[in-house]
Amino acid sequence: MKKLNWKTSLFLLPLVIMLATFSFYPIISSFVYSFFDYQTNDQSIANLYTTNHFNAKLFYEDCDYLLFYIPDDAALVDEADRAQFENIMDSIRTNMAPYKDKDTVIRLNKADIARLKTFVRTTQNDLNTIYQNNTERQFYNKENNQLLLNEMKQCFITPNNVGFKNYQALVHDPRFWTSIKNTLVFTIISVFFEFLIGMGLALVMARAIKGIGSIRTAALIPWAIPTAVSALIWSYLYDGSSGIIAHIFAQIGLIASPQSMLLTAQGAMSAAILADIWKTAPYMALLLLAGLEVIDRGLYESASLDGCNKVQTFFKITFPLLKPSILVALLLRTLDAFRVYDLLAILTGGGPGGATETVSIYSYKVLVGQSNYGYGSAIIIGMFICVALIATIFVKILGTDISN
Amino acid sequence: MKTHSQKPFYISNVIVAIMVVAFMIISLFPFFWILITSFKPSSEIFGTTAFQVISKDPTWENYFVVIFDKNIIKSVFNSLIVAGSTTIYVVIIASLSAYIIARFTFTGKSLLMGIVLSVSMFPQMIVVGPIFNMFYKLGILNSYFLALAYSTITFPTAVWIMVAHFKSVPLSIEEAARIDGCSPWQTLWKIVFPVASSGVATTAIMTFIAAWNEYLLAITLNVNKEYQTVPVAINALRTQYSVFWGQITAATVLVVIPTIIIVLLFQKKIVGGISNGAVKE
Repeated sequence: MKKLNWKTSLFLLPLVIMLATFSFYPIISSFVYSFFDYQTNDQSIANLYTTNHFNAKLFYEDCDYLLFYIPDDAALVDEADRAQFENIMDSIRTNMAPYKDKDTVIRLNKADIARLKTFVRTTQNDLNTIYQNNTERQFYNKENNQLLLNEMKQCFITPNNVGFKNYQALVHDPRFWTSIKNTLVFTIISVFFEFLIGMGLALVMARAIKGIGSIRTAALIPWAIPTAVSALIWSYLYDGSSGIIAHIFAQIGLIASPQSMLLTAQGAMSAAILADIWKTAPYMALLLLAGLEVIDRGLYESASLDGCNKVQTFFKITFPLLKPSILVALLLRTLDAFRVYDLLAILTGGGPGGATETVSIYSYKVLVGQSNYGYGSAIIIGMFICVALIATIFVKILGTDISN
Repeated sequence: MKTHSQKPFYISNVIVAIMVVAFMIISLFPFFWILITSFKPSSEIFGTTAFQVISKDPTWENYFVVIFDKNIIKSVFNSLIVAGSTTIYVVIIASLSAYIIARFTFTGKSLLMGIVLSVSMFPQMIVVGPIFNMFYKLGILNSYFLALAYSTITFPTAVWIMVAHFKSVPLSIEEAARIDGCSPWQTLWKIVFPVASSGVATTAIMTFIAAWNEYLLAITLNVNKEYQTVPVAINALRTQYSVFWGQITAATVLVVIPTIIIVLLFQKKIVGGISNGAVKE
C-alpha cells in the first residue's frame, strides 16, 4: 500500500463533495428542522428564524392599501376628524417609506420592531377613536382597515426555534407509536418468513445445478422490478372485485370475502407482508447462497464420512459457517423493511384507518402532505434513532461473531 | 452431500424438484396474470369473466391507449435519461475513490468507509425535505437533475463493489505500469479499469436498477407529467375514482420488459453485485 499524496487525493474529491452535498447536508438539515416550528404553508413560520424578522413586503402593501382606503372615509367626516385622518396618513407614509422595494422578509433590530409595533397599535387606536366618534355614519372601509391592521400584526416574525417541543409532542403522539408498532409488525413477520423461505431456496439452489439459470432468473425478476410497479401489480391481484388472489383466498376460506383483503386491518397488513415476501425472499436466497458457496466442500465430505446425517450437517457445519452471511442478510433486510415506503404507500396508503401506516408513511404525510417540516423531521429522526439501534445491535452481534 | 442408500436420495430430489417448480410458479404467476389481463377488453376485467384465463375477445386497445393517450413511452424515456446519467456519474466517481481506497493508505480511510456504509443505512426519508428545499431554491424541481439526488442511494453499493473488485486486481500489473512511467490517472484508466471491467459492469447494472426503481424522491421532486419517471407515471394511471386495470396492466408489461431484458442479459453480474454487498464486508 502506498501513501496518499495531495495529487492522488484529488481522486477522492468528487465522492466527498457529492456525499457532503446530497447526503450529509440534507441529513444535518433534517436534524435542524426538527428543532423548529417550521411549516411552509404558514408565512410567519415558513423558514427557520432564530432572530426577529419582519415581513417588509407585506407591511408595505398593507400600508399602501390603508392610504388607498382612508381618503374614502375621510370624505364623510367633519373638519377636525378629517385633520385627524390626515395625521394618521402622514404617520403611515413616514413609517412605510423605509420598506419600499425591500425583500419579502428582512432582519430587524429590537428598537425598530418596538417602534413599528407601537405604530400599528396607535394607528389602530386612532382610527377606532374616529370611527367611534362618528357611529352614526356608514363608513366604506371600516372593516377593511381593521383587517389590514390585523394582518400587519402578523408581519412581525418571532424566532420559531422551539427546542425539544417537537420531540415532546412526538413522545405523546399516539399516532407515532401506532406507526412504530405497525412498522415492527411488518418488519418482524416479513423478515422472519423471508429468512425461512430464503434459506430453503438457497439450500435448493446450492444443489440444483441443472436449470440454475432459469431459477436465478425467476428469483431476480421480482427483486429487479420497481417496488412501485410490483405494489401496483399486487393491488390488482388483491382487488376486491377483479383480483385473482383475493378471489382464491376467499374461495379457500382464508378471508371472509374478496373485499376484506385490502379493507380490513389484518387483511391489509397480511397483503403487504405477502407482497414483500414475494419480492424479497428470492433476494434473501441469493444473499445466503453467496455465503453457502464460500463454504469449503471438503467439510461436507468429511462430515458424511464421519456418519453425520443431513440435519446434523446443516446444524454443525452449514449454519455456524453461514452465520456471518445470515446476520448481514438479516441486517440489510431488517433495515429495508423498517424503512418501507413504496410498497405500503401504493398498496394500502397506510389504511384502512391507519392499520398499515408505518413510520415512513406517517412522516411523509406530515412532511410533504401537511408541509409541516418541523414535526415531520422529528418523526424521521425518531425513525432514524430506531434504525441506528437496529444497526448497532446487529453490528455488535456480528462483531463478536467474527472475533470468535 | 452424498448418501450411500439410493432411496432417500431419490425422494429428496423429488422434493427439491417440487419446491423449485412451486417457487417458479409463485414468482412468475403475477407477471403471467398481468400479461393476460392486458389483452382483455375492459368488459372482461370486471364481473364474472374477471377470472377467466383466456380472453374471448383479445385486444391491443389497452396498449394503444397507454402508448398514445397516456404517453407512457415518455416516462420510459425520462427514466432512461435519469437512470442512465446516474449510472455514468456514479460509476466514474465511485471508481476514482474506490481505487484510492483499495490501493492507498491515508488517515481517515476507515472513517470514509464508515461514512459510506452509514449513508446506506440512513432512512432515505431523512433527505427528502431538505433536498426538496434545495431543488426548489435552485429552481431544478421537475427536471433531469433528479439524477443528482440519487447519489445518496447509489454511492454506497457502488463504492463497496468497486473496492472489492479493485482489491482483486494484482498489484504487480500496476507496479509494471508505474515502472513504465504511468501516472496514477493513466494507471487507473489504462490498466486497472480494463482489468476490473467486470466490476465496473456490475456496479453500472446495480446503479442503473436502483435509479430506475426509485420512487420516493421521484414522486417528491418530479411531479410534473413531463418529467415523471416510470414508477411515478404508472401509479398516476390509477386515479382516485376509477381504476382501469386493462391500461395499468398493459403499461406494467411495457415497463417491466426493460427490466426483464437486463435480468436475462446480466443475471450473473447482478448476482455478483448482490453477494458482493453481503459477503465482502
